Amino acid sequence: MIDLSHLSMRFRRSVAVNDLSVNIPEGTAVALWGANGAGKTTILRCILGLLRYRGEIRVGGIDARRHGTKVRRLIGYVPQELGFYDDLRVGEAVHLVARLKGLRAANTGEALERVGLPGEQRKRIRELSGGMKQRLALALALLGDPPILLLDEVTASLDAHGREALMQLLGRLSGTGRTILFASHREDEVMALADRVAVLDHGRLVATHAASELVDRLGHGATLHLRTAPDRATSALDALRRSGFVATLNGVGIIVPVPNGQKGAPFRVLAEARIAVEDFDLVQTAHREAQP
Amino acid sequence: MRVVASILALLVVAWARADDLAARIAAAAPGDTFEVGPGVYTGPVRVERPLRLVGRGRPVIDGRGAHDIVTIAAEHVEIRGFVIRHSGDDLDHESAAVRVLAGHAIVEDNIIEDALFGIDLKAAPDSVIRGNVVGGKALDIARRGDGLRLWRSDRTLVEGNTFRDGRDAILWYSSDVLVRGNVVDRCRYGLHLMYSDRVTLEDNDLTRNSVGVYFMYSNQLTLTNNRLLRNRGPSGYGVGLKESGNYRIEGNLIAGNRVGVYFDGSPFAPGGEALLTGNTIAVNDVGLALLPSVGGNTFTGNSFVDNLEQLAVLGRGNASRNAFALNDRGNFWSDYVGYDQDGDGIGDFEHEPAHLVESLLDREPKAKLLLFSPAEQAIEFVGRALPFTRPDPKFRDPAPLMRPPAVAATKHGRPASLALAAAALAAVGGLIVAGARLGPKESTP
Amino acid sequence: MTSFRNVAALARRELRDALAARWFILYTIAFAVLGLAVSYVSAASAGDAGLSGLGRTTAGLVNIVLLIIPLMALTAGAASVASDRERGMLAYLLALPVARWEVLLAKFVGLGLALVASICLGLGACAAVVAVQGGGASAGAIAWLAGLSVFLAIAMLALGLLVSTAARKASAAVGVCIFLWFSLVFLTDLGLLAGAIAFRLPIERLFAAALGSPLQVFKMWTLLASDATLDVLGPVGVYASETFGGRLHALFAASLAAWVIVPLALAVLTLSRRSAV
Repeated sequence: MIDLSHLSMRFRRSVAVNDLSVNIPEGTAVALWGANGAGKTTILRCILGLLRYRGEIRVGGIDARRHGTKVRRLIGYVPQELGFYDDLRVGEAVHLVARLKGLRAANTGEALERVGLPGEQRKRIRELSGGMKQRLALALALLGDPPILLLDEVTASLDAHGREALMQLLGRLSGTGRTILFASHREDEVMALADRVAVLDHGRLVATHAASELVDRLGHGATLHLRTAPDRATSALDALRRSGFVATLNGVGIIVPVPNGQKGAPFRVLAEARIAVEDFDLVQTAHREAQP
Repeated sequence: MRVVASILALLVVAWARADDLAARIAAAAPGDTFEVGPGVYTGPVRVERPLRLVGRGRPVIDGRGAHDIVTIAAEHVEIRGFVIRHSGDDLDHESAAVRVLAGHAIVEDNIIEDALFGIDLKAAPDSVIRGNVVGGKALDIARRGDGLRLWRSDRTLVEGNTFRDGRDAILWYSSDVLVRGNVVDRCRYGLHLMYSDRVTLEDNDLTRNSVGVYFMYSNQLTLTNNRLLRNRGPSGYGVGLKESGNYRIEGNLIAGNRVGVYFDGSPFAPGGEALLTGNTIAVNDVGLALLPSVGGNTFTGNSFVDNLEQLAVLGRGNASRNAFALNDRGNFWSDYVGYDQDGDGIGDFEHEPAHLVESLLDREPKAKLLLFSPAEQAIEFVGRALPFTRPDPKFRDPAPLMRPPAVAATKHGRPASLALAAAALAAVGGLIVAGARLGPKESTP
Repeated sequence: MTSFRNVAALARRELRDALAARWFILYTIAFAVLGLAVSYVSAASAGDAGLSGLGRTTAGLVNIVLLIIPLMALTAGAASVASDRERGMLAYLLALPVARWEVLLAKFVGLGLALVASICLGLGACAAVVAVQGGGASAGAIAWLAGLSVFLAIAMLALGLLVSTAARKASAAVGVCIFLWFSLVFLTDLGLLAGAIAFRLPIERLFAAALGSPLQVFKMWTLLASDATLDVLGPVGVYASETFGGRLHALFAASLAAWVIVPLALAVLTLSRRSAV
């Protein structure tokens, strides 16, 4: 359904995507997995035609560069944060987007019902909470039932509660025959939604495998959140990677999935590299099979 | 006996309507009243004895393009009530619709059309030209003749006539003439005086000519209560004064001309009055234009309103040899920036205008391209803010008036259509705002 | 057809946003208040009663229009695309099945209509004041002024949009546009003045140079419309009237049209070649 071949995209100083080829078959949900800066968002934006790229992108067999509008008609897109006319009322937003998608009439009530926002039609977008905004974005993306959904870190700016609600909605979408491509660096999201995972590092495709394998690769049990002195974070990351961990950096610290039985290993690696761990947290990850 | 003769003559003429009018007139007895009924008669007609020629029902005398149409060659001839049309167009011959060659003529209430010269008086003093409407030939201005020409015709009265599309209404060597209530429109010089003294021009409308009134080499002139508007031809003066003297110009509205009043060697000789008072000189490109040598004029109680340039000296120098106040009473200047604290109606500071833009424009007329733009105001502002950039003032009014004296303006604004424009604009603006707010569906989910 | 619907839907949105925006309301009030002041003062002053031609009111309003309308239109255009880009809204819009030129055209139409509304309301109020005072400009002159102001406004809007599509940040775009405004209002004219005085440029060159400035063209066209001749502008005006006569209207229209079309086309080009984020 989505074919990327030799996709490359450079920003002024850096390479965001480097000769990446991947094929996403119809009906599958694929997670783009990688650290910040791995190129996840860039790939989505290339598909949407928001960035100029080299290589080729085909969506449903259509060249995205030449027929961007046609391609985008097949796609529902949810950004990390919905940026839209702030003054617009929710109902008006649904109408406007429906018109822009070329739909004759939108059933506003139904569209909002679907994402759990009934009765919010008169509210203005700027009055919505972050979670409600993202649910609205999802409702807008689903207008016209596009066969493809692109989700870009959709939960990243939400609090735990908002994330939970959105994840529930998204969970219902998998297995409905839609092709879903989403960027995430949260293991639980990947486990909940994805069939397959494309692992990215610095714009390169490192591996693709079934989502269930991610857990194997990362280890069965848990994710370790480590915090070091800020200036040591990068060297800590390098040290961990050299030792075979799939470590990533987020705003707060380093995230390292750890197999059961080796939960302490990262501490040893860092101690050897003379990097002090200031704080840590251990999060048990659930298996995909455990989800309803 | 006389009455019977008149009636007889009338009958004969009416009967022989298409016959030769000239022959009948030639046969008339001196002093007869000769009535002519409706119809088209062929000129030329020559009147060689005192006669009253009266048209009833607007009879037409058609010159068929052959030189003059009606010639009055005897004193005490009156011609009224005719349409006289289609003179020759030979400028060397000076073809005229009505040529008057003797005094005490009365030319009244005629309509003259398609004439090279309209009414041409040559040595015809004590005549009356009244209530005629004179239209010229549709020729290039250089090939037109004068709507009215007086040549050595003193004490003539020119009243209530309308002249259009001719060259001038001109007085040559004709003194003690009164010109009152006439309209001269779209001609070259509206009223043009050459070597004519003691002439009074009052209550005339001189519009859209090259020059409204042009005095040349004439003296003892009175120009009062005239309206000189939009005279914008190549010269474009409302009033032009060339080597004339002893004049009083009072109560006129002089507006929308290229130059309001133009002074060239006037007053010509010292002594005598050279007074401009109570005039409204407004929205001309230049209010007053003086050659540098001009001196001896007195300006008092005039209103100078929004002329692009209130006063221009055409050359190096200033206008200081003229007086801009009389008996401590100056003029109203719309660009006066002073105030009147003692409330006597006279500004507390002298009016000494020094406009940087004006002095630039005087030096480089090409820069007029920038008029009406914010840059013009910016330069003016700089001129005010930085005193060293100020040019020398061109004149000085020691007692500027705070309020314009009684305005001679004619009010013929068009508030009704303006109100309509206002309403239309408001409607468009309102429609856009309302249309956006009450758009279909989108706003009412 | 789809394009038309997209443009119409987005344009209405832009228009509504503009009408509710603070800048729009403030500019409209400023324009109306200054215009009213000029109208009131000149209508109240003597000597201008019913004199045809370029009345003082019209002349004053021309100055107000020249100062405010370009600033309003330039900054409106400057802020639009760039701030959408900053807020991520441009990316979101363009992720919908909408072409980039449609988004730009919608902004042009929507903001353009807002400017039309502002101009009409402002000048309408001025006309009302003059009508009540009974004098000043003619209805025809006001109508011409309104029409030409709209023309000038959309030219400046197109220029603002071009800057906005090329700029990285909205603040930078607005800054550039304020500089452009200053250049057009003052520097160009002072350049012309220098050309006339210091360099003694021949009149046909001066006129050609003036034809390049949208503000000068607006001014000359307003004069031409109310006076039927440009000779009030001195030798250059006489030259223009004599040489081009009735074709001046077409000449001015072509110049202003170029100021609308060229920046707008460049803006479409810039937007379609740049990334949307």
